[in-house]
Amino acid sequence: MLAHLKNLDLVARSVVEGFLIGLHRSPKFGFSQEFAEYRSYAEGDDPRFIDWNVYARSDRMVVKRFLGDTNSHLMLLLDASASMGFGGPPVSKLRYAQFLAASLAFLASRQHDAVGCMVFDEEVRDYRAPSSRSGKLQSVLHCIDSAEARTGTKFDKPFDKFREQITRRGLVAVISDFYCDIDKLFEGVRPLAWQGQDVVLFQVLDSQELNPEFRSNVLLEDLETGEAVEVAPQFMRDAYPERMRSHIDSLSAAAAGIGADHVLVKTSDSLDQALRNYLLFRQRRS
Amino acid sequence: MTFLAPLFLLGIVAIALPFWLHRLQTQSSDRKPFSSAMLLETTEQRVHVRKKLKYLLLLTLRVALLLLLALVFAKPLWTDPESLPATTPDGTHLILLDTSASMSRSGVFDQAVAQARRAIESAPSGAVLQLLSADDGIHVKSELVSDRSAAGASLAGIRPGALRLDYGDVVAAIDRLAETLPQPVTLHFVSDFQDSGMPVRFADLVSPAISALVPHIVGSGEPFNWTVETIRETAAGVDVGVFGFGHFERAANIELSLNGAIIGERGIISGGQTIERFDGLQMLGGDNRLEVRLEADDDLSVDNRRFHILENVPPAPIPLITLNRDGLPVTYLSAALQSDPDNAYRVEPMVIGEFDSRTLSRYRWVLVDDIGIVSVELEAALTEFVRNGGNLLAFAGMRSATAERIPVSGNTIRPASVGAVSNQFLSVGQVDTGHPALSGTEGWFSVNVSQTVPIDAQSDDQVLIRLENDEPFLIEQRIGQGRVMLVAGGLENQWNDLPIRPVFVSFIVESARYLAGVDRLSKTFVAGATLPLTMTGGSSGQVIDPDGNNVLSLADTARAQQIKLSKPGFYEVYTTQGDYIVAVNPDSRESILQPVADATLQRWVTAMGGQSDAAAIPSFDVEPESVELWHALLLILALVLVAESLLGNLHLTPRTTN
Repeated sequence: MLAHLKNLDLVARSVVEGFLIGLHRSPKFGFSQEFAEYRSYAEGDDPRFIDWNVYARSDRMVVKRFLGDTNSHLMLLLDASASMGFGGPPVSKLRYAQFLAASLAFLASRQHDAVGCMVFDEEVRDYRAPSSRSGKLQSVLHCIDSAEARTGTKFDKPFDKFREQITRRGLVAVISDFYCDIDKLFEGVRPLAWQGQDVVLFQVLDSQELNPEFRSNVLLEDLETGEAVEVAPQFMRDAYPERMRSHIDSLSAAAAGIGADHVLVKTSDSLDQALRNYLLFRQRRS
Repeated sequence: MTFLAPLFLLGIVAIALPFWLHRLQTQSSDRKPFSSAMLLETTEQRVHVRKKLKYLLLLTLRVALLLLLALVFAKPLWTDPESLPATTPDGTHLILLDTSASMSRSGVFDQAVAQARRAIESAPSGAVLQLLSADDGIHVKSELVSDRSAAGASLAGIRPGALRLDYGDVVAAIDRLAETLPQPVTLHFVSDFQDSGMPVRFADLVSPAISALVPHIVGSGEPFNWTVETIRETAAGVDVGVFGFGHFERAANIELSLNGAIIGERGIISGGQTIERFDGLQMLGGDNRLEVRLEADDDLSVDNRRFHILENVPPAPIPLITLNRDGLPVTYLSAALQSDPDNAYRVEPMVIGEFDSRTLSRYRWVLVDDIGIVSVELEAALTEFVRNGGNLLAFAGMRSATAERIPVSGNTIRPASVGAVSNQFLSVGQVDTGHPALSGTEGWFSVNVSQTVPIDAQSDDQVLIRLENDEPFLIEQRIGQGRVMLVAGGLENQWNDLPIRPVFVSFIVESARYLAGVDRLSKTFVAGATLPLTMTGGSSGQVIDPDGNNVLSLADTARAQQIKLSKPGFYEVYTTQGDYIVAVNPDSRESILQPVADATLQRWVTAMGGQSDAAAIPSFDVEPESVELWHALLLILALVLVAESLLGNLHLTPRTTN
């Protein structure tokens, strides 16, 4: 049903609210907005959370911290290459990735985390620096919503730019189908991990990619390169899923090797699993 | 290579269709987008490549099919220059021999042959030659050759005929021929150059394609020629007009034969025109062959015989279907047809109840004095008679006024009538004088009509006469192969005064000729004329020429539309509608042996030679022999069609998709 909603903000809000209602029933995660402590105001903090009473009494600017509030950064790296346009109906991989990114952004915003976004394919198409200011979420959602699937994928440029921009440690969520050379991918991811960023790789795939069904020989055309490959149904039934599993396992192993997490997300699944992973990461960081 | 119908090459545009269809086919193949080919592996069976090749082969066959189809319709001609005479710097020399009737003058044709032979032998060694003869057209007597002996040998088979030659027509035909020949073209014209053969316009004698005219004049001297100029039938017999062309008197003997038997003989001495009368001819029934023969010492004998047909046909019976054998309509119609100067028809009144409709097939046309009396059975018989080519002249009299429709023609009758509501008289308002039955009639506007049977003309009816209130008075309707002429009024002398008007006689006589179809056939022709067999009443048949030979082959007896009458004498024509004889005589202009003036001939030669400078005209290759290729292309087309069908059938196997 959410797939038919045009408003990304509404989708994200619905997903997160529903998800949180489920969480409150579960004691395992202990997520809440209860007051925890004060800390000194730092640049980039939302002025709404400055406790003006304390300021009046002590002439010090402190902000309130709540239970579960880590004041972390969340940077969303959204792959908008042509391959992400594959899939559906009802949603393509890109659209699903947009829902996921928006939900993460919304959830992070509720936690008063600074949220940033970068949309990329072969180049960096759009970039919003992390911020926890109230109007910033709409800017991030707009950045996510305006992403369109086109051209190929190159991870080095977005990661380079991200490294240039980032000044604080935080969470980095890379949302892509990761049709790339894993070694090259981790040439960009590894420095982030070494910088202390917590990296989570959300690999978004369609069920047609995981278990394709063809009854006759078919000419498959690569959406990014235009290369046409004639494949037999036997290959797609036997060898291809094996190759796909191998690729996913390699990605997962490589991620684990640098302390990053890899989450496989199918477009047919609900977004809850991805949100849970985010919270787990956030919890681990805190 | 050239094309006889190059416009059909536009059909090649149609090859865009298979290209378009195959493009669609290619686009609609099992080509599917996929997120990434990174993990894919090409199958060993390259089905798509094979399929693509099959499509390309099919496309090639289809394109070839359309190309061949367009080429077959365009009729390509392949020319092989090696099979023909090489380029000739001396161009072409055409030897044209006059074979018209005047060339049969004693000794003249031998002179002509000798002159033609000399022209052939004196032609330049590098020239190509072609021998032609001319009468009412141009006839090729030898191929375009360099070999003089081959051209000379063709002279042996040429004889003068009985046809007329017109120099203007000859030059026009030679002009078209010369355009295709190696230039320059020199025309050697061997002829007696009759003055009577010259065209009205001198410009018709000039041909741009001919570089030079070399006249070879034969038959010089002071000729004298007797000719039978005319045969005119009179009440008592025939008048034979004889003319002697020449500047002195000569004696001649006229012999008249009828159906092969000599019935009269006269001796005359004259230098001009003489008319001899022969009376008391005992003619047989039908066509009589009259021949006038001149026994004379003159220069041209071909015109000393003249042939003529004397018709002695008894009046043809015309059934007049009536209610009253002694009624006024019978009197009027009988009297009108008896007044025909040819006395060709005899009215046979038949009372409706006694008439046997099975006898209708004996007649060419039928009269009905009041169509309203026709019973249902007779209507069916008359309709069948008309449908099969018979004709009907009917009057809608008082008995028709009570009916709702006119029998046979089917025209509906309206209740109102001209004089039914008032006692007014109407005149004729409009007459189609171009119609054969009315062209020779006068006085329609003096006819008074008080009442008519108001007939509604049908869409395909031809209204020949309308009254001044625009009502139809005479209608012609075609039914099948025959026709019905219907007068919207009776002959009882009550509704109109047509029967007592002079126009009635001429109308009935002309209508009789029109409906009998006799006015379309002449029985005397000039040699060279064509006889249209379809106008004689039947579609083809057989024709016997004056020598007793069949003119038509067995196949042509069923399909020939016309024949050319080229020999003087009697032709016997047999058709499904009857037999008859036609007489054919030479054109009388051929009898005038007066040659063209020297000055005129010199002017003609100058005009032809002055058209172009022969030396300046570049030489071209001889028009090569052309071979039509469409037969071979049609065979290839059939093979390609079979191949395309077989290959296309392979693609009809159902395609499986995911």
